[in-house]
Amino acid sequence: MATESQPESETERETGTGSKAETTADRNDPIITVRNLQTAFFTDKEVIRAVDGVSFDIRPSETVGIVGESGSGKSVTARSIMGLVESPGRILDGSSIRFHHTETVREFARRFPGRTVDLGALEAEHDPASLFAHSTVDATPEAFGYDDASEATVADFVATGYGEALGLDPKDCVFVTDGSTDEPVDGFVEITRLSGDPQRAMRGGRIAMVFQDPLTSLNPVYTVGNQIKEALRLHRGLSGAEATREAISLLEAVGIPDARRRVAEYPHQFSGGMRQRAVIAMALACDPEVLICDEPTTALDVTIQAQILDLLEELQDERDLGIMFITHDMGVIANISHRVNVMYAGEVVETADVEPLFADPKHPYTRGLLESIPGQQSGDRLQTIEGNVPTPNEPATYCRFAPRCPEAFADCTEVHPVSLPVEEGADDHTAACLLYPEHRSTPEAVNRHADREDSISEAGASPATDDDTTGGENR
Amino acid sequence: MSRWHYFFKRVLLSIPVLFLVMTLIFVILRLGPLDPVASLLGPEASGAQAEQIRESLGLNEPLWQQYLDFMWGLITLDLGQSWAVYSGRNVIDLVYIFAPRTIWLGFWAVLLPLFIGIPLGFYAGLNPNSWGDYVASFGGIVWLAMPNFWLAIMVLAVLRQTQGGGFLGFDWYTFGPEVNSLIGTPPLDFAGATDWTTLWLLSVPTGGFYFDFGTLAVAIKVILPAAIVLGSASMATELRIGRTAILETKNSNYVETAKAKGLSGRVIVWKHVFRNALIPLVPIITNEALLLLGGSVIVEVIFGINGLGRLFFLAAVQGDLPLAGSLIFIFTLITISLNIIQDLLYTLLDPRVGYD
Repeated sequence: MATESQPESETERETGTGSKAETTADRNDPIITVRNLQTAFFTDKEVIRAVDGVSFDIRPSETVGIVGESGSGKSVTARSIMGLVESPGRILDGSSIRFHHTETVREFARRFPGRTVDLGALEAEHDPASLFAHSTVDATPEAFGYDDASEATVADFVATGYGEALGLDPKDCVFVTDGSTDEPVDGFVEITRLSGDPQRAMRGGRIAMVFQDPLTSLNPVYTVGNQIKEALRLHRGLSGAEATREAISLLEAVGIPDARRRVAEYPHQFSGGMRQRAVIAMALACDPEVLICDEPTTALDVTIQAQILDLLEELQDERDLGIMFITHDMGVIANISHRVNVMYAGEVVETADVEPLFADPKHPYTRGLLESIPGQQSGDRLQTIEGNVPTPNEPATYCRFAPRCPEAFADCTEVHPVSLPVEEGADDHTAACLLYPEHRSTPEAVNRHADREDSISEAGASPATDDDTTGGENR
Repeated sequence: MSRWHYFFKRVLLSIPVLFLVMTLIFVILRLGPLDPVASLLGPEASGAQAEQIRESLGLNEPLWQQYLDFMWGLITLDLGQSWAVYSGRNVIDLVYIFAPRTIWLGFWAVLLPLFIGIPLGFYAGLNPNSWGDYVASFGGIVWLAMPNFWLAIMVLAVLRQTQGGGFLGFDWYTFGPEVNSLIGTPPLDFAGATDWTTLWLLSVPTGGFYFDFGTLAVAIKVILPAAIVLGSASMATELRIGRTAILETKNSNYVETAKAKGLSGRVIVWKHVFRNALIPLVPIITNEALLLLGGSVIVEVIFGINGLGRLFFLAAVQGDLPLAGSLIFIFTLITISLNIIQDLLYTLLDPRVGYD
């Protein structure tokens, strides 16, 4: 089967690269921007900051890889984007996940007019810089990724849970930046503010997810066709014979032979790889813009894994899918992703395009991960990273990797590293390590990290006195 | 092998079981310690009268002939005559009189836990660690800890206290349809037909149907305390299993997939959670129904209901072998049909049945 489809997928990939080149503009405009995402679980004993200030983008027809050990917060990041974080977990204020897709904004503005807000009008009423001084806002310009308060926009506030400072309804979630609420030209949907109907319309309809274990992620008592048609009916209003036809063509699209018969079969009649294909077909049923894959190949053997990865690539080229791919397997990441985020204890410690990351890993953790791949090491024994991922149960005031880091020095337990470019001008390769930026001496670098970190935490503690420009002149 | 293929195989397999039980009953009756003649005429019986009875019971026939006759009798429901309890009466007539009462009791004793225990368990499972869950779970354990015979007496004692106006003027005797006694056999003549014809082996009603709501209400009211007591243990078990089943299903991966698909909470619960949660409950429900057969003896005696349980108890105590044997045969029939119902429910609920 694999050999049969090989040449076909080869040509697909070539045409795919062609279309990618044409849509470079699209590639530069992220469809999902995650900024300062913090998801914490509030247990009786402690607060676990499973995701602690993560920022990244997902672009159409681009695959973003998230890699890290178990417990590094990969899956919680994915669940936060899907809105699947459940009590006692919560996405904290100050987190923002924006979905930039004009068509979606138009549709949502039409379907949920009561929850749509014209940001232009808000902008006229409020001065963003002054909002840092507002009593309910405990964010800082740095938390939004700015150096100065004047760079912040009203959108930053409404999107990060501080909308109440502007008198927004807590249910508002569709924001129009250009055009009116009736005729939106541009805007975004703020995923962290979603609830109820718009949230369900977003799940599956705009962002779909494929889970780790295909053996258990299909309901055993309904046919595969039934479960695909369920999604079709929900998001596309198809039913009856039309839905069945569509389900069959979806199964064919993911490479399931004899789809006409298979559509009426139960999950237990499918093999593992076939089931994962069926799950992918189900996720694609509603033509989503973004597909989140949470370790989709971990439960499969390597042959099937390769087939599924090929399939995902094919589908991405056909449909301009933005894919977020979570795995702990560096080999899979190298194979499928365009950009890689390395996560450790709830934080992104290194971000880069896939080639630079594998050719020249900067963060000691990334290097450790790469060295621990069998066949990559120099000596007789396999290199490993000693110890386990710590549970992030307190705010980070130090480097969380320090206890396991072979290059740790005294400052590592004192200063919390922030993500900075690894060297001058390398804006798309950042690392959160005190050793970087590389072009500066280590003490200088440490100071830069400490400065950034201090300004964030001080500002958080007393927003009114932090910055002169945010002073009370407007209030 | 398809699901229905599997189901019919299970149905066919129950036939040898039935024959085995029938043979065992024959062995117990014929080779047991009781001599039928002595049982009918007293231990000193002898002479022409004894010989006549021996002849009429067919005891002079060769054993294989007796076995064949006996088996044919069971198959055609010709169950012989009672020796001691209702001497000389046809067993099948006794069964027609006594069985409806037990079925009425069993019906409510299965239905009440089904419609109270499972919904409560599902509610507790859907709202784990809430006050409702604590109350339901704790209540379930307390309810389970109370044995039938004790609970039966307590229920009777409490209800009797209400005669002439008890707590808040509540009087069980006049509440709803009026009854004179807490115990006794429920009137089951609330529905029926007056004209019957015989079609092949069965009697079929042809007309004169009637239905009396007043009598039905009395029948329900009389059976209710007994049914609650008899079903109490099953109710608590179903509550606990139901809660666990819901919790397990709710946290399963396919429910998360369904959520990620954008389904509403209502669809997820009704379509994806309930059907899967019912699968582990099927054997619990049918097994409870079987336990009710045994439990009904105690409850029928305490509540003075003249049912099969009480009849079996009397037959066993007084050595009425044809009656006891026939009742065992009927209980076996009930057990086997419950097993078939269980297989049917499995087949309907779970498509993985019969898959190998």
